[in-house]
Amino acid sequence: MPIGPRPEDAPKIRRTIAVYKVSSIITGTFLLLLVVMMVTRYGFGVDIELNPVYGLQLTPKELITGVNLSTAILIAHGWLYVLYLGTDFVLWRQIRWSFGKFLFIALGGIIPLLSFFLERRVPRDALAAIAPLEKVAA
Amino acid sequence: MWAVARRPRWIAALLLCLAIAGGFAALGQWQLERSFESAAPRTEETEVAVPLDDVSTPQTPVPESAIGQQVTASGDFVSGDYVVLSERINLAAPGYWVVGHAVTSDGASLAVALGWAATEDAAADAVRSLDASAPDGALTGRYLPTESPAESDFESGVRSTMAVPELINLWAQAPDGVYGGYLILDSAPAGLELIDAPEPVTEIGLNLLNVFYAIEWVVFAGFAIFLWYRLVRDAWELENEPKTEPVE
Repeated sequence: MPIGPRPEDAPKIRRTIAVYKVSSIITGTFLLLLVVMMVTRYGFGVDIELNPVYGLQLTPKELITGVNLSTAILIAHGWLYVLYLGTDFVLWRQIRWSFGKFLFIALGGIIPLLSFFLERRVPRDALAAIAPLEKVAA
Repeated sequence: MWAVARRPRWIAALLLCLAIAGGFAALGQWQLERSFESAAPRTEETEVAVPLDDVSTPQTPVPESAIGQQVTASGDFVSGDYVVLSERINLAAPGYWVVGHAVTSDGASLAVALGWAATEDAAADAVRSLDASAPDGALTGRYLPTESPAESDFESGVRSTMAVPELINLWAQAPDGVYGGYLILDSAPAGLELIDAPEPVTEIGLNLLNVFYAIEWVVFAGFAIFLWYRLVRDAWELENEPKTEPVE
C-alpha cells in the first residue's frame, strides 16, 4: 500500500513531473528509432549509415565508412533509458508510490509506444496525488 | 525500522535483491571480459592454415576474423592476367609485386600476390616466365582484405595499390565471382622474392564502451540493494508516520 507524498514535496513534484515528461518523450522517440534500427539490422542485414558524401543510406555493417547511426541509436537509447529510469525513481520516491508503479513506469522505455501513453498518464496520476496536499497548503 | 527488516517477507526480499545484484555483477564482469576480448590477440588461430572457403566467401566482404589468416586454396592461374604493382615495399626496400589471377575449382576468382622483385625489368621477366609456365594450383599463404583503389599515373607504369576491384578491370577474363581479399603466396616462383607477410599485429587495447557498461552494471547492482533498503523503510514509515488525511 502506498504511503503518499509529503505535503512539503508538492512543488518539487511539479518540477519532477516536467522533467519526466521531457525524458519520456525523448526515450519514447529513441525507442521507436531503436525498433527501426533492429528491423533493418536483423531483418534486412543493413545498418543506417550517415555518409559524408552520400548522406543517409542503408549499408551492411562491415562496409560502413561513414557514421553508423544504428550503433549510435543503440548506445544513445541505452544511456537515455538510464536517465529515464532516474526520473522514474525520483518521481516514485517523491510521491511514495507502490513499487509496482515504479516497475510499470520503467517499462515505458522498453515497450515501444508505451512511453507516449505514460507521458500523459503518469503526470495526471502524479498531479492527482498532490492535489489534496496543495489544497491543504492553500 | 530494523524490526520491519527482520520479518520473513523482507528477508526474502533481501535475498531476491541480493540475487538480482549478483546477476548484475555477473553481467558487469561479462562486459569487463568483453572489453578485453574485443581487442584480444588471436595469433595462434591465424597461423594454422585453413581452407579459404571456410573463412571467406566470394562476392562478400572479408570478415574481420579472416584478416591475416593463413589459408589454402587451389586454383589455376589465368595466363595473360598478371599485373605488376609498383612502389611495393618489401622488408624496407621499394620494388614491384607480381599479382596473378587464380580461378578456383568453383570458378571464383582470387587475386594472388606471387612475389616481389627489386626492379621493373625483373618483374616483367617473371611475368613472362609465369605466362609460359603457370605455377601449380596448390596455393598457400596469408589472406588479407583488398586495399582501396587509388588514383595513380598508371599510364607511366605507376600502380601501387593491391585493389581487387581495380584488378578485375585489368583481367582479360571477366571473373565469375571474386573473393574480397587477396592471397600473399608463401613460396615465390622462380625469379621473384618472397613477399614478407608477418603475423597480424595484435592490438592490445580496451573497448571503452564495454568498460562503461561494466561500471553501469555495478551501479545497478548497488541500486538493487538500495531499493531493498528503501522499500523496507517505506514499509516502516507506513506503520510509524502519521498519515496525511486527504481533504475532500
